[in-house]
Amino acid sequence: MPADLCPPYAPFFGFAGVASAVTAGAAFGTAKAGIGIAGLGTFKPELIMRSLVPVVMAGIIAVYGLVVSVLIAGNLTPSKGYPLAAGFIHLGAGLSCGMTGIAAGYAIGHVGDSVTTSVVGMILILIFAEVLGLYGLIVALLMNTKVTALVDVCN
Amino acid sequence: MLDMGYKTYTSFGLPTFLVIIVALYLLFTDSGEAFDVGRFLEETSPFVWGSLGIGLCIGLSVLGAGWGIFLTGASILGGGVRTPRISTKNLISIIFCEVVAIYGVIMGIVYSSKLQTVPEAQLYTRDNYFTGYALFFGGLTVGFCNLLCGLCVGVAGSTAALADAADPTLFVKVLVVEVFGSVLGLFGLISERKHLFYDITH
Repeated sequence: MPADLCPPYAPFFGFAGVASAVTAGAAFGTAKAGIGIAGLGTFKPELIMRSLVPVVMAGIIAVYGLVVSVLIAGNLTPSKGYPLAAGFIHLGAGLSCGMTGIAAGYAIGHVGDSVTTSVVGMILILIFAEVLGLYGLIVALLMNTKVTALVDVCN
Repeated sequence: MLDMGYKTYTSFGLPTFLVIIVALYLLFTDSGEAFDVGRFLEETSPFVWGSLGIGLCIGLSVLGAGWGIFLTGASILGGGVRTPRISTKNLISIIFCEVVAIYGVIMGIVYSSKLQTVPEAQLYTRDNYFTGYALFFGGLTVGFCNLLCGLCVGVAGSTAALADAADPTLFVKVLVVEVFGSVLGLFGLISERKHLFYDITH
């Protein structure tokens, strides 16, 4: 007996994808890097403005999560049919962005906290940490494009 | 790290054991079909999901705001013993944390306007399921985002208070970190804004 391809509970998994794209790592990165900046600022105040870079990068991770969640939510419309396969693809996309964002934010936070003298060295390490979040974003976007091919399955 | 301890066994092992026992029981008593995620999602009322989402939205946001306020407030009060000048200027960090709770209240009020009384015969439609799930995950996302934002702003604010006590010129610079942190709560609000356009109706 063939199962229903577009059951009414399919949006549950789509919305779970939207929710999981939110990155917890950005908050951790901002807070941990902020502690490091304040510590650095008490004995080397001239380096503060340059050591705000980890905070900005953690903010970029949050933007990745925002982009993916808005993109997925844009494909969720109640009027057109929503196949269950699309729901799981969206869940996977959201999870990939969210979990890589947690990893990237965690790395950015610890690196930002340990800055003492070499800000240039810190920025080089931060670029590699940031790129982890970018990989998650790319995979999420790739998965999302697969959903557009599934649109007319429900008829 | 090497010694797992009874906490890990009970928190991971016990639930896994119970799940395996229940699954095997269902399997061996020929009611394996009873484990059906789709049927569970179809049988629960959309009001359950909507109400849970709204509750989580306001609850988690306020939890984040409160956590941030206590983190910041403890540092301000402690640092204010030796340097009383920091007390008034650092209240802005408390306001940043409070704003997170306001985001949760706004989204909670707007989402709760989407819940209308529907008789049970007309409740289980595709659109109502959709709205229920939208409200649940919207509320969960907003609440979780605000929780993290409140924590982040709290830690940054506590650091700003202590930095201000050490050197007054540092306050504005650490405040920039707080602004970046408070933007995270706004992102949660923005990404769930789309869910405002649906409601549970006839």
